[in-house]
Amino acid sequence: MTTFSIMVEQAQARVPVTVLRLQGDIDAGTQPILQDRAAEMIAMGTTHMVLDMSEVGYMGSAGFRAIHAINNLLDREQSDAFERSKYLKLLNPNSEVEKVIRTLGFDAFLDIHHDRDQALESF
Amino acid sequence: MEALHACGFLAGMPDELLQALAARCRVLTVGPDRAVVTQGEAGSTMYVIIGGEVRVHDGEVTLARLGEGEVFGEMAVLDAEVRSATVTTTSDATLLELERDSLFDALATHPGGFQAILHAVLQRERGIVHDVKTRTEQVLAYEKELEIGRRIQAGFLPDALPTAEHWQIASCFEAAREVAGDFYDAFELPGSGRLALVLGDVCDKGVGAALFMTLFRSLIRAASLYGFVDPRIDADTAGRAGASREQDTLVNTLVTTNRYIATTHASSSMFASVFFGILDPASGRLDYVNAGHEAPIVFRSDGECLTLEVTGGVVGLFAAAPYRAAHVMLQPGDMLLAFTDGVNEAKNAAGDQFSEQRLLELENVRALTPDELLQHILGQVRAFRGEAPQSDDISMLALKFLGV
Repeated sequence: MTTFSIMVEQAQARVPVTVLRLQGDIDAGTQPILQDRAAEMIAMGTTHMVLDMSEVGYMGSAGFRAIHAINNLLDREQSDAFERSKYLKLLNPNSEVEKVIRTLGFDAFLDIHHDRDQALESF
Repeated sequence: MEALHACGFLAGMPDELLQALAARCRVLTVGPDRAVVTQGEAGSTMYVIIGGEVRVHDGEVTLARLGEGEVFGEMAVLDAEVRSATVTTTSDATLLELERDSLFDALATHPGGFQAILHAVLQRERGIVHDVKTRTEQVLAYEKELEIGRRIQAGFLPDALPTAEHWQIASCFEAAREVAGDFYDAFELPGSGRLALVLGDVCDKGVGAALFMTLFRSLIRAASLYGFVDPRIDADTAGRAGASREQDTLVNTLVTTNRYIATTHASSSMFASVFFGILDPASGRLDYVNAGHEAPIVFRSDGECLTLEVTGGVVGLFAAAPYRAAHVMLQPGDMLLAFTDGVNEAKNAAGDQFSEQRLLELENVRALTPDELLQHILGQVRAFRGEAPQSDDISMLALKFLGV
């Protein structure tokens, strides 16, 4: 059983941003924890979110499904154009996770930042 | 006394015995969420529920819910073994507690009571036998349904691979469970002599992945065979100068399939990685789109290896995702191997992965037929895995150009 936890931080950039600090592996077992927590924050008013992945060792396809679902919740316009998410950014995935992000093509839709301030200011 | 009368377990007892028991009972009131008896502990008391409800459970698994007039704790009282399950109140509850010694004292003076208890225990046993039978029938029914699903899904894989002069083609498919998310397809594009080759891996496993596998496979096959295209993408692709008809088919098929699933099934967040190629058997030219899939390997006849890296993202998530086609010229003696991550991510007991590197380092590939190559890899993966279970579906496609 993998352990997985989430720390929530609120930051103020040009807009208020919720930072979810993810700790542990994201697989089919832990993915609902991430998805439910993000949905809860969005229901409570979060409009912009950063997923801090500094402490994520592994992310499987279930994690990508969660990221897609979270972006769907944040992006209420569901515009048809091909564009990067204005509401969800990824911070500091390790090189293994980043490689998978690029292989699956998620980098075309989500900005990947390696500096927290830069991620916050990007909204 | 009334409560004991109302209790099915004790109902058959003579009135004098019930009276004797009633005098020896203690009334307990218990709040919700309290464990009255705990699995594995010794116990000398049984309980009749006068009011409220309890849950009989083994850890998280609920075995039964009991209410007014029902009894629990009697097994440990009768056979003096430890408690077989935990019983927790789910509401405020009022219970009658009866000690083993009190029960046996009362039975000693009213031997007729033994017959009533024996009867009650046997009634319960008959109930259990009936439950086990019902559940076994349910499990068998589910297994039968799953087997039907497995057979129907097998029908979504090609019955036979197409043939082309000077080429050998082979495939393999091993599901980790009854139904799978992997798929492969190979078929001739009518009138052109070209072969379409598809290998895909739907995220997740089991029934959900299997349902989406049938959708992905069908859309890709239908769109490429019948040329249907989402009208919104004509403008995107019409202007791509120099694109061959094969590349148009590849791109249009994936753009259409992606848009359909990303919009129609947006809330499912289901996706597939897909390698989709169109081969011209006469020239050895392979046009392809690699949509987020493990890079297929070309084993060149001269010993070099080439990997066909991604040219687009996974299919099914982002409606407006663009796809780009690339091509490679296969030479006589070359072997192409496409595989799903059940191969390179197969794990041994220590948690190490088989890895793509092991595929790139395979020796004597050039001496093998495609079928021999796939059997060789399957053997290697099984040997590597050892006792560890197969955690993901495995599919592979291999083709070899024998030369003109």
